[in-house]
Amino acid sequence: MIITPKELNDQKDDLLIIDIRPSDQRTEFPLVELNSFVCGNEELTDIKEKKVLVCQYGIVTEGLIIENDLQNTFSLLGGAVAWNDFSDGYRDLSQWSRQTVLPEVGIDGQKKISKAKVTIVGMGGLGCPAAQSLLISGIGSLHLIDKDTVSLSNLHRQPLFTPKDIDCKKVDVAKKRLSVLNPNANIDITDMFLNNKNAKELVYGSDVIIDATDNIESRQVIDQISKKLDIPMVYGGLYRFEGQVSVFNVNGSPGYIELFPDTPSGGITCEDSGVLGMLPGIIGNIQALETLKLIIGIDPTLVGKILIYDAMNHKMRTIQL
Amino acid sequence: MMKVNVKCFSQVQYALGQTELLVELENGSKASDLEKLIRIRAKGKLDDVSLRVAINKNYVNEDTELKDSDEVAFIPPVQGG
Repeated sequence: MIITPKELNDQKDDLLIIDIRPSDQRTEFPLVELNSFVCGNEELTDIKEKKVLVCQYGIVTEGLIIENDLQNTFSLLGGAVAWNDFSDGYRDLSQWSRQTVLPEVGIDGQKKISKAKVTIVGMGGLGCPAAQSLLISGIGSLHLIDKDTVSLSNLHRQPLFTPKDIDCKKVDVAKKRLSVLNPNANIDITDMFLNNKNAKELVYGSDVIIDATDNIESRQVIDQISKKLDIPMVYGGLYRFEGQVSVFNVNGSPGYIELFPDTPSGGITCEDSGVLGMLPGIIGNIQALETLKLIIGIDPTLVGKILIYDAMNHKMRTIQL
Repeated sequence: MMKVNVKCFSQVQYALGQTELLVELENGSKASDLEKLIRIRAKGKLDDVSLRVAINKNYVNEDTELKDSDEVAFIPPVQGG
């Protein structure tokens, strides 16, 4: 059984709190404002009272409960690290304990995620999975930009929409569905297409812009404003069984215009060339992954490189720009 | 003469019907010479398609001279999303 830091705080007077950590971990993250006592693993089966086990990250205690079939016993989600943060006045981040346990993320990384604002231009095949992934990863604020309505042919690759949503505004439906996934996130929507005139106002204040559009002109507009405001652009594109991802304009790194100078021709939309429903899910999620890495500050990223994924043969190729 | 290995992506792959092909060229040929050859083999299917060229996984200028055993990729823009 699991208990979150907030639940523990509400019930702490009714529970026995047992710290199973070695002394160096207890020193690193003391259980402030909790009346806990230290106990060895072998003694746990003898304690019959309703109790909470605390380890550093909440993973060891979950295993102990299952292995020893401990009754009446909770594991503190996110462990002492999550409690430490909660008691420090920050909100409960234990929901993301499986992320924060990664040394590359940690509580500090999760705080960065929770404070970040990401703008997604286009709520189609790429925008839907990117928004979903970012939101459940704990992103603080999303801004969704699209003027399209949901159509029947969108449904096989845009999992936020159902047949009942046909003809509804994509951004309205997306906000409704995404809000359920993380009620604490702030979701702004703009029922417009991005263009040269409104781009600055719409993306201002974002930490990252995700290009989930389906036309080259919009990609060029995003590239220009990304350069102008010094906001990284995470590009994604699709053609039949193939997807491309790159991260543009980070500290002067190449942008879309450097990849395809002037006005390239020959790009074909998914409506014209066709696309399997799974491919935008894969590519949109890679865009979300690159976005999180930028926010947290994890290297390496796809800055200065383009990733080409061939879903037919499952081959990935990275080309230096 | 030299031989280069051409990797085909998106529209190039569909136009040529192959994911890769071996092409024999005169010594001293440039990427632009190979691009002309690829466009001829595509029989008009790439006439309206912009292509960027990468040699050995690095984007290069089309004037770049090719060497024997180079791996060359022609990459068109993709629009779908």
